[in-house]
Amino acid sequence: MKQEISALMDGELFEDEAESLLVHIKRDSGARKDWEIYHLIGDVLRQPEHIHSDLSTKVRERMQDEPTVLVPRARAAKQKLRTFALSAAASLSALGVVVWMSLQVGHEVAPLMVARQTALRSVSTQIQPKPNDYLMAHQEFSPSTYMNGGASYIRTVSYGPDEK
Amino acid sequence: MRACFAFAWLLLAVANVYAGESPLRFEWLKVVAFAAHQTDYSGVYVYQYGSHVETSRITHVVEPDSEYEKIESLDGPKREIIRHHGQIWCYINHKMVQVDSQQGRSRFPSLLPEQLVALSENYLVKDVGLERVAGYNTQVILFQPRDNLRYSYKIWVHTDSGLLLKTAALGEKNQLIEQYAFAQLQIGGNIDRSWIGAKDLGGAGLSVSPEADKGDIAINSGWVVDALPAGFKKIREFQRPMRGRHAPVMQIVFSDGLSAISIFVEPADGDESEADGLSSFGAMNLYHKVLSKQLITVVGEAPPYVVKQVLDSVRYKGK
Repeated sequence: MKQEISALMDGELFEDEAESLLVHIKRDSGARKDWEIYHLIGDVLRQPEHIHSDLSTKVRERMQDEPTVLVPRARAAKQKLRTFALSAAASLSALGVVVWMSLQVGHEVAPLMVARQTALRSVSTQIQPKPNDYLMAHQEFSPSTYMNGGASYIRTVSYGPDEK
Repeated sequence: MRACFAFAWLLLAVANVYAGESPLRFEWLKVVAFAAHQTDYSGVYVYQYGSHVETSRITHVVEPDSEYEKIESLDGPKREIIRHHGQIWCYINHKMVQVDSQQGRSRFPSLLPEQLVALSENYLVKDVGLERVAGYNTQVILFQPRDNLRYSYKIWVHTDSGLLLKTAALGEKNQLIEQYAFAQLQIGGNIDRSWIGAKDLGGAGLSVSPEADKGDIAINSGWVVDALPAGFKKIREFQRPMRGRHAPVMQIVFSDGLSAISIFVEPADGDESEADGLSSFGAMNLYHKVLSKQLITVVGEAPPYVVKQVLDSVRYKGK
Protein backbone atom coordinates (compact mmCIF):
# COMPACT_ATOMS: atom_id res chain seq x y z
CA MET A 1 0.00 0.00 0.00
CA LYS A 2 2.77 2.41 0.96
CA GLN A 3 4.53 1.80 -2.30
CA GLU A 4 1.38 2.53 -4.23
CA ILE A 5 0.82 5.76 -2.32
CA SER A 6 4.39 6.78 -3.02
CA ALA A 7 3.91 5.95 -6.70
CA LEU A 8 0.71 7.96 -6.78
CA MET A 9 2.51 10.98 -5.34
CA ASP A 10 5.21 10.64 -7.94
CA GLY A 11 2.54 10.48 -10.67
CA GLU A 12 3.58 7.00 -11.67
CA LEU A 13 0.17 5.33 -11.49
CA PHE A 14 -2.25 4.88 -14.34
CA GLU A 15 -5.51 6.77 -14.09
CA ASP A 16 -7.65 3.81 -13.10
CA GLU A 17 -5.09 2.62 -10.55
CA ALA A 18 -4.91 6.11 -9.07
CA GLU A 19 -8.67 6.33 -8.88
CA SER A 20 -9.11 3.10 -6.98
CA LEU A 21 -6.26 3.98 -4.68
CA LEU A 22 -7.81 7.36 -3.91
CA VAL A 23 -11.08 5.68 -3.07
CA HIS A 24 -9.19 3.36 -0.77
CA ILE A 25 -7.40 6.25 0.92
CA LYS A 26 -10.72 7.94 1.55
CA ARG A 27 -12.06 4.88 3.34
CA ASP A 28 -8.96 3.62 5.17
CA SER A 29 -7.67 5.91 7.88
CA GLY A 30 -4.31 4.10 7.96
CA ALA A 31 -3.76 4.79 4.29
CA ARG A 32 -4.83 8.37 4.81
CA LYS A 33 -2.21 8.77 7.53
CA ASP A 34 0.44 7.37 5.23
CA TRP A 35 -0.69 9.79 2.56
CA GLU A 36 -0.34 12.75 4.95
CA ILE A 37 3.00 11.60 6.26
CA TYR A 38 4.40 11.18 2.77
CA HIS A 39 3.31 14.66 1.85
CA LEU A 40 4.80 16.08 4.99
CA ILE A 41 8.10 14.34 4.34
CA GLY A 42 8.05 15.69 0.81
CA ASP A 43 7.42 19.22 2.06
CA VAL A 44 10.19 18.98 4.59
CA LEU A 45 12.65 17.65 2.06
CA ARG A 46 11.80 20.38 -0.41
CA GLN A 47 12.00 23.17 2.14
CA PRO A 48 14.69 22.24 4.63
CA GLU A 49 14.84 25.79 6.00
CA HIS A 50 11.50 25.27 7.67
CA ILE A 51 12.33 22.13 9.55
CA HIS A 52 13.80 23.96 12.52
CA SER A 53 10.44 24.76 14.02
CA ASP A 54 10.06 22.53 17.01
CA LEU A 55 6.61 21.26 16.32
CA SER A 56 6.26 19.10 19.40
CA THR A 57 6.76 22.12 21.66
CA LYS A 58 4.29 24.14 19.65
CA VAL A 59 1.80 21.35 19.84
CA ARG A 60 2.18 21.17 23.59
CA GLU A 61 1.72 24.92 23.87
CA ARG A 62 -1.30 24.90 21.62
CA MET A 63 -2.80 22.07 23.62
CA GLN A 64 -2.34 24.02 26.82
CA ASP A 65 -3.88 27.07 25.20
CA GLU A 66 -6.92 25.15 24.08
CA PRO A 67 -9.97 26.66 25.73
CA THR A 68 -12.00 24.59 28.15
CA VAL A 69 -13.91 22.20 25.98
CA LEU A 70 -17.62 22.95 25.84
CA VAL A 71 -19.95 20.08 25.28
CA PRO A 72 -21.27 20.93 21.80
CA ARG A 73 -17.74 21.41 20.48
CA ALA A 74 -16.17 18.40 22.11
CA ARG A 75 -16.00 16.38 18.97
CA ALA A 76 -14.35 19.08 16.90
CA ALA A 77 -11.70 19.81 19.55
CA LYS A 78 -10.85 16.17 19.84
CA GLN A 79 -10.46 15.86 16.12
CA LYS A 80 -8.12 18.84 16.08
CA LEU A 81 -5.89 17.37 18.75
CA ARG A 82 -5.59 14.17 16.87
CA THR A 83 -4.51 15.98 13.74
CA PHE A 84 -1.89 17.93 15.62
CA ALA A 85 -0.50 14.87 17.29
CA LEU A 86 -0.33 13.07 14.00
CA SER A 87 1.48 15.81 12.17
CA ALA A 88 3.87 16.17 15.07
CA ALA A 89 4.74 12.51 14.94
CA ALA A 90 5.11 12.60 11.20
CA SER A 91 7.31 15.63 11.26
CA LEU A 92 9.56 14.12 13.88
CA SER A 93 10.14 11.07 11.76
CA ALA A 94 10.66 13.24 8.71
CA LEU A 95 13.09 15.36 10.66
CA GLY A 96 15.03 12.22 11.44
CA VAL A 97 15.37 11.50 7.75
CA VAL A 98 16.48 15.02 6.95
CA VAL A 99 18.96 15.16 9.80
CA TRP A 100 20.40 11.90 8.67
CA MET A 101 20.60 13.13 5.09
CA SER A 102 22.27 16.37 6.04
CA LEU A 103 24.82 14.81 8.34
CA GLN A 104 27.28 15.02 5.51
CA VAL A 105 27.13 18.79 5.54
CA GLY A 106 26.90 18.93 9.30
CA HIS A 107 23.65 20.70 9.96
CA GLU A 108 23.95 22.63 13.19
CA VAL A 109 20.96 23.70 15.16
CA ALA A 110 22.60 26.94 16.15
CA PRO A 111 22.58 28.79 12.82
CA LEU A 112 18.93 27.99 12.43
CA MET A 113 18.22 29.39 15.85
CA VAL A 114 20.07 32.48 14.84
CA ALA A 115 18.11 32.91 11.69
CA ARG A 116 14.99 32.78 13.76
CA GLN A 117 16.26 35.23 16.32
CA THR A 118 17.39 37.80 13.82
CA ALA A 119 14.03 37.63 12.19
CA LEU A 120 12.33 38.28 15.47
CA ARG A 121 14.71 40.86 16.81
CA SER A 122 13.52 44.36 16.14
CA VAL A 123 15.92 46.97 14.90
CA SER A 124 17.67 48.68 17.76
CA THR A 125 20.24 51.16 16.64
CA GLN A 126 21.92 51.66 20.00
CA ILE A 127 23.38 48.29 20.78
CA GLN A 128 22.17 46.40 17.79
CA PRO A 129 24.89 43.78 17.93
CA LYS A 130 27.34 44.10 15.09
CA PRO A 131 28.72 40.64 15.44
CA ASN A 132 31.36 41.01 12.78
CA ASP A 133 33.18 43.67 14.80
CA TYR A 134 33.41 41.32 17.72
CA LEU A 135 34.32 38.41 15.51
CA MET A 136 37.15 40.35 13.91
CA ALA A 137 38.39 41.55 17.27
CA HIS A 138 38.29 37.99 18.50
CA GLN A 139 39.98 36.51 15.48
CA GLU A 140 43.07 38.64 15.91
CA PHE A 141 43.98 36.48 18.85
CA SER A 142 42.50 33.18 17.92
CA PRO A 143 45.00 30.47 17.05
CA SER A 144 42.61 29.23 14.38
CA THR A 145 43.20 32.49 12.55
CA TYR A 146 46.89 31.85 12.54
CA MET A 147 46.17 28.50 11.02
CA ASN A 148 43.75 29.68 8.38
CA GLY A 149 45.42 33.00 7.79
CA GLY A 150 43.29 35.64 6.17
CA ALA A 151 40.81 33.02 5.07
CA SER A 152 38.92 33.44 8.30
CA TYR A 153 38.61 37.16 7.74
CA ILE A 154 36.66 36.93 4.53
CA ARG A 155 33.92 35.07 6.28
CA THR A 156 33.75 37.81 8.87
CA VAL A 157 33.48 40.40 6.17
CA SER A 158 30.88 38.37 4.43
CA TYR A 159 28.60 38.95 7.39
CA GLY A 160 28.84 42.68 7.15
CA PRO A 161 27.69 43.81 3.70
CA ASP A 162 25.68 46.53 5.45
CA GLU A 163 28.78 48.15 6.89
CA LYS A 164 29.69 51.56 5.59
CA MET B 1 62.18 28.35 0.16
CA ARG B 2 60.30 25.39 -1.11
CA ALA B 3 63.35 23.23 -0.96
CA CYS B 4 63.83 24.32 2.61
CA PHE B 5 60.43 23.00 3.59
CA ALA B 6 60.87 19.85 1.68
CA PHE B 7 64.02 19.39 3.68
CA ALA B 8 62.25 20.11 6.93
CA TRP B 9 59.60 17.59 6.02
CA LEU B 10 62.26 15.03 5.23
CA LEU B 11 63.94 15.64 8.55
CA LEU B 12 60.68 15.18 10.34
CA ALA B 13 59.87 12.08 8.41
CA VAL B 14 63.21 10.63 9.40
CA ALA B 15 62.75 11.72 12.97
CA ASN B 16 59.35 10.07 12.94
CA VAL B 17 60.99 6.68 12.86
CA TYR B 18 63.05 7.26 15.95
CA ALA B 19 61.28 9.82 18.06
CA GLY B 20 58.19 9.57 20.24
CA GLU B 21 54.79 10.62 18.99
CA SER B 22 53.66 13.99 20.26
CA PRO B 23 56.68 16.30 20.20
CA LEU B 24 57.11 15.51 16.56
CA ARG B 25 53.63 16.67 15.62
CA PHE B 26 54.38 19.96 17.27
CA GLU B 27 57.56 20.36 15.28
CA TRP B 28 55.31 19.77 12.34
CA LEU B 29 53.02 22.56 13.39
CA LYS B 30 55.96 24.93 13.40
CA VAL B 31 56.57 24.02 9.80
CA VAL B 32 52.90 24.58 9.05
CA ALA B 33 52.84 27.93 10.79
CA PHE B 34 55.98 29.01 9.03
CA ALA B 35 54.88 27.81 5.62
CA ALA B 36 51.72 29.89 5.62
CA HIS B 37 53.79 33.05 5.94
CA GLN B 38 56.83 32.19 3.86
CA THR B 39 55.34 30.63 0.75
CA ASP B 40 53.99 32.26 -2.40
CA TYR B 41 50.71 30.74 -3.40
CA SER B 42 47.49 31.51 -5.20
CA GLY B 43 44.35 29.47 -5.32
CA VAL B 44 40.63 29.09 -4.87
CA TYR B 45 39.23 27.75 -1.65
CA VAL B 46 35.79 26.80 -0.48
CA TYR B 47 34.52 27.69 2.96
CA GLN B 48 31.58 25.69 4.16
CA TYR B 49 29.43 25.50 7.24
CA GLY B 50 26.04 23.90 7.52
CA SER B 51 24.46 24.22 4.11
CA HIS B 52 26.33 27.45 3.47
CA VAL B 53 29.13 27.44 0.89
CA GLU B 54 31.41 30.30 -0.12
CA THR B 55 34.17 30.40 -2.66
CA SER B 56 37.10 32.80 -2.48
CA ARG B 57 40.37 33.36 -4.22
CA ILE B 58 43.45 33.89 -2.09
CA THR B 59 46.79 35.22 -3.29
CA HIS B 60 49.71 35.29 -0.91
CA VAL B 61 53.13 36.65 -1.85
CA VAL B 62 56.25 37.33 0.13
CA GLU B 63 58.07 40.53 -0.74
CA PRO B 64 61.38 41.65 0.74
CA ASP B 65 59.61 44.05 3.10
CA SER B 66 56.78 41.80 4.21
CA GLU B 67 54.04 39.47 3.09
CA TYR B 68 50.95 40.52 1.17
CA GLU B 69 47.71 38.63 1.05
CA LYS B 70 44.63 39.29 -1.00
CA ILE B 71 41.34 37.48 -0.64
CA GLU B 72 38.42 38.05 -2.99
CA SER B 73 35.01 36.52 -2.71
CA LEU B 74 33.95 34.82 -5.92
CA ASP B 75 30.26 34.57 -5.13
CA GLY B 76 27.75 37.01 -3.71
CA PRO B 77 28.54 40.72 -3.38
CA LYS B 78 32.10 41.72 -4.12
CA ARG B 79 34.27 41.50 -1.06
CA GLU B 80 37.99 41.91 -0.97
CA ILE B 81 40.51 41.93 1.82
CA ILE B 82 44.16 42.81 1.72
CA ARG B 83 46.46 41.99 4.59
CA HIS B 84 49.87 43.51 4.80
CA HIS B 85 52.21 44.10 7.68
CA GLY B 86 49.63 43.02 10.21
CA GLN B 87 47.10 45.47 8.85
CA ILE B 88 43.82 44.63 7.21
CA TRP B 89 42.08 46.54 4.47
CA CYS B 90 38.60 45.80 3.21
CA TYR B 91 37.14 46.77 -0.10
CA ILE B 92 34.02 48.61 0.99
CA ASN B 93 31.96 50.95 -1.18
CA HIS B 94 34.52 50.96 -3.99
CA LYS B 95 37.51 51.86 -1.86
CA MET B 96 39.94 50.10 0.38
CA VAL B 97 39.39 50.95 4.01
CA GLN B 98 41.64 49.96 6.82
CA VAL B 99 39.52 48.10 9.30
CA ASP B 100 41.95 46.70 11.74
CA SER B 101 45.53 46.82 12.79
CA GLN B 102 47.41 43.93 14.22
CA GLN B 103 50.68 45.73 14.18
CA GLY B 104 53.06 44.75 16.92
CA ARG B 105 50.94 41.84 18.01
CA SER B 106 52.43 38.43 18.09
CA ARG B 107 51.96 36.08 15.19
CA PHE B 108 51.56 32.36 15.18
CA PRO B 109 55.21 31.28 15.16
CA SER B 110 56.08 33.47 18.10
CA LEU B 111 53.03 32.23 19.99
CA LEU B 112 54.20 28.71 19.70
CA PRO B 113 56.04 27.80 22.92
CA GLU B 114 53.08 28.34 25.22
CA GLN B 115 50.69 27.14 22.56
CA LEU B 116 52.45 23.83 22.24
CA VAL B 117 52.19 23.13 25.95
CA ALA B 118 48.51 24.08 25.92
CA LEU B 119 47.91 21.96 22.83
CA SER B 120 49.31 18.78 24.33
CA GLU B 121 47.36 19.31 27.53
CA ASN B 122 44.05 19.76 25.80
CA TYR B 123 44.20 17.72 22.63
CA LEU B 124 45.41 14.32 21.53
CA VAL B 125 47.33 14.79 18.30
CA LYS B 126 46.95 11.93 15.87
CA ASP B 127 48.35 11.06 12.51
CA VAL B 128 45.38 10.03 10.40
CA GLY B 129 47.15 9.19 7.18
CA LEU B 130 47.71 10.57 3.72
CA GLU B 131 45.04 12.13 1.51
CA ARG B 132 44.93 14.09 -1.70
CA VAL B 133 43.59 17.66 -1.68
CA ALA B 134 43.44 19.99 -4.70
CA GLY B 135 45.77 17.64 -6.50
CA TYR B 136 48.44 17.63 -3.82
CA ASN B 137 49.45 14.96 -1.37
CA THR B 138 48.70 15.88 2.20
CA GLN B 139 49.34 14.55 5.65
CA VAL B 140 46.18 14.50 7.75
CA ILE B 141 46.49 15.41 11.41
CA LEU B 142 43.65 15.20 13.91
CA PHE B 143 43.47 17.22 17.12
CA GLN B 144 41.10 15.33 19.35
CA PRO B 145 39.96 17.21 22.46
CA ARG B 146 40.15 15.43 25.79
CA ASP B 147 36.62 16.57 26.70
CA ASN B 148 33.44 17.54 24.85
CA LEU B 149 33.79 21.23 25.61
CA ARG B 150 35.61 22.07 22.40
CA TYR B 151 35.62 21.09 18.76
CA SER B 152 38.11 18.69 17.26
CA TYR B 153 40.16 19.91 14.36
CA LYS B 154 41.49 18.10 11.38
CA ILE B 155 44.17 19.61 9.17
CA TRP B 156 45.47 18.52 5.81
CA VAL B 157 49.07 19.63 5.36
CA HIS B 158 50.85 19.66 2.01
CA THR B 159 53.71 17.23 2.45
CA ASP B 160 56.18 19.28 0.39
CA SER B 161 55.52 22.87 1.43
CA GLY B 162 53.84 22.47 4.80
CA LEU B 163 50.92 24.61 3.60
CA LEU B 164 47.50 23.91 5.01
CA LEU B 165 45.31 22.80 2.14
CA LYS B 166 42.25 21.97 4.17
CA THR B 167 41.04 22.44 7.73
CA ALA B 168 37.88 21.21 9.37
CA ALA B 169 36.29 21.75 12.74
CA LEU B 170 34.29 18.77 13.92
CA GLY B 171 31.62 18.54 16.59
CA GLU B 172 31.06 16.04 19.33
CA LYS B 173 29.56 13.42 17.02
CA ASN B 174 32.23 14.07 14.41
CA GLN B 175 29.82 16.17 12.41
CA LEU B 176 31.33 18.87 10.27
CA ILE B 177 31.02 22.32 11.83
CA GLU B 178 32.99 24.23 9.25
CA GLN B 179 35.62 23.56 6.66
CA TYR B 180 38.11 25.39 4.50
CA ALA B 181 39.46 23.53 1.53
CA PHE B 182 41.46 24.51 -1.50
CA ALA B 183 39.82 23.45 -4.72
CA GLN B 184 42.68 24.69 -6.86
CA LEU B 185 46.10 25.91 -5.80
CA GLN B 186 49.35 27.06 -7.31
CA ILE B 187 52.34 26.98 -5.02
CA GLY B 188 55.30 29.14 -5.99
CA GLY B 189 56.01 30.02 -9.59
CA ASN B 190 54.65 33.03 -11.42
CA ILE B 191 52.01 34.63 -9.21
CA ASP B 192 50.24 37.90 -10.01
CA ARG B 193 51.70 40.75 -7.96
CA SER B 194 50.20 43.64 -9.87
CA TRP B 195 47.80 44.46 -7.03
CA ILE B 196 50.63 45.18 -4.62
CA GLY B 197 51.68 48.79 -4.33
CA ALA B 198 50.68 52.34 -3.64
CA LYS B 199 47.67 52.17 -5.90
CA ASP B 200 45.79 50.07 -3.41
CA LEU B 201 47.39 50.67 -0.09
CA GLY B 202 48.20 54.12 1.20
CA GLY B 203 47.12 55.67 -2.08
CA ALA B 204 44.33 58.15 -2.74
CA GLY B 205 41.61 55.57 -2.40
CA LEU B 206 42.62 54.62 1.09
CA SER B 207 41.07 56.24 4.09
CA VAL B 208 42.58 55.16 7.35
CA SER B 209 40.06 54.99 10.12
CA PRO B 210 41.04 57.08 13.15
CA GLU B 211 41.29 54.20 15.57
CA ALA B 212 43.81 52.35 13.45
CA ASP B 213 46.82 53.98 15.01
CA LYS B 214 45.75 53.94 18.60
CA GLY B 215 47.35 51.28 20.67
CA ASP B 216 45.76 48.90 23.09
CA ILE B 217 46.16 49.39 26.81
CA ALA B 218 46.76 46.31 28.92
CA ILE B 219 44.88 46.53 32.20
CA ASN B 220 43.37 44.51 34.97
CA SER B 221 39.66 45.06 34.53
CA GLY B 222 38.38 43.21 37.57
CA TRP B 223 36.13 41.05 35.42
CA VAL B 224 36.52 37.31 35.88
CA VAL B 225 35.10 34.14 34.34
CA ASP B 226 34.42 31.18 36.60
CA ALA B 227 33.29 28.49 34.17
CA LEU B 228 35.92 28.27 31.45
CA PRO B 229 36.60 24.80 30.09
CA ALA B 230 39.79 23.29 31.51
CA GLY B 231 42.96 24.37 29.77
CA PHE B 232 41.82 27.81 28.66
CA LYS B 233 44.42 30.29 29.85
CA LYS B 234 44.26 34.04 29.73
CA ILE B 235 46.51 35.28 26.96
CA ARG B 236 45.49 38.92 26.98
CA GLU B 237 43.43 41.47 28.87
CA PHE B 238 43.30 44.99 27.50
CA GLN B 239 41.20 47.94 26.47
CA ARG B 240 40.71 48.46 22.78
CA PRO B 241 39.06 50.99 20.56
CA MET B 242 36.23 49.58 18.50
CA ARG B 243 34.46 50.86 15.45
CA GLY B 244 31.21 52.64 16.25
CA ARG B 245 31.81 52.71 20.01
CA HIS B 246 32.38 55.87 22.03
CA ALA B 247 34.03 54.17 24.97
CA PRO B 248 36.90 51.72 24.74
CA VAL B 249 35.92 48.06 24.96
CA MET B 250 37.47 45.62 27.43
CA GLN B 251 38.65 42.43 25.82
CA ILE B 252 39.88 39.38 27.67
CA VAL B 253 41.14 36.49 25.54
CA PHE B 254 41.53 32.90 26.71
CA SER B 255 43.02 30.12 24.62
CA ASP B 256 43.61 26.40 24.88
CA GLY B 257 46.18 26.40 22.09
CA LEU B 258 43.81 25.87 19.16
CA SER B 259 40.55 27.56 20.08
CA ALA B 260 40.06 30.89 21.77
CA ILE B 261 37.27 32.55 23.73
CA SER B 262 37.04 36.34 23.98
CA ILE B 263 35.01 38.26 26.51
CA PHE B 264 34.08 41.86 25.68
CA VAL B 265 32.78 44.24 28.32
CA GLU B 266 31.49 47.71 27.56
CA PRO B 267 28.90 50.11 28.96
CA ALA B 268 25.41 49.18 27.81
CA ASP B 269 23.82 52.34 26.51
CA GLY B 270 20.89 51.11 24.52
CA ASP B 271 17.80 49.01 24.60
CA GLU B 272 19.05 46.30 26.89
CA SER B 273 16.37 43.72 26.34
CA GLU B 274 17.45 43.40 22.72
CA ALA B 275 20.98 42.40 23.55
CA ASP B 276 20.52 38.81 24.66
CA GLY B 277 20.94 35.96 22.30
CA LEU B 278 23.12 33.67 20.30
CA SER B 279 24.66 34.19 16.90
CA SER B 280 26.58 31.49 15.17
CA PHE B 281 29.13 31.71 12.38
CA GLY B 282 30.57 28.37 11.48
CA ALA B 283 32.70 27.29 14.41
CA MET B 284 32.40 30.68 16.07
CA ASN B 285 29.55 31.33 18.45
CA LEU B 286 28.64 34.66 19.97
CA TYR B 287 26.45 35.45 22.97
CA HIS B 288 25.39 38.84 24.31
CA LYS B 289 23.89 39.80 27.61
CA VAL B 290 23.59 42.83 29.85
CA LEU B 291 24.92 42.52 33.38
CA SER B 292 24.90 45.43 35.84
CA LYS B 293 24.62 48.00 33.04
CA GLN B 294 27.48 46.42 31.10
CA LEU B 295 27.05 44.71 27.77
CA ILE B 296 28.92 41.43 27.96
CA THR B 297 29.76 39.64 24.71
CA VAL B 298 31.41 36.25 24.51
CA VAL B 299 32.84 35.00 21.21
CA GLY B 300 34.63 31.73 20.77
CA GLU B 301 35.38 28.72 18.61
CA ALA B 302 33.52 26.47 20.98
CA PRO B 303 30.14 24.72 21.00
CA PRO B 304 27.22 27.08 21.70
CA TYR B 305 26.53 25.61 25.16
CA VAL B 306 30.11 26.25 26.20
CA VAL B 307 30.00 29.87 25.04
CA LYS B 308 26.71 30.28 26.91
CA GLN B 309 28.16 28.71 30.03
CA VAL B 310 31.14 31.06 29.87
CA LEU B 311 28.85 34.06 29.44
CA ASP B 312 26.74 33.03 32.43
CA SER B 313 29.80 32.81 34.64
CA VAL B 314 31.21 36.26 33.86
CA ARG B 315 31.17 38.49 36.94
CA TYR B 316 32.78 41.59 38.30
CA LYS B 317 35.14 40.67 41.09
CA GLY B 318 36.65 44.09 41.69
CA LYS B 319 40.20 45.15 41.22
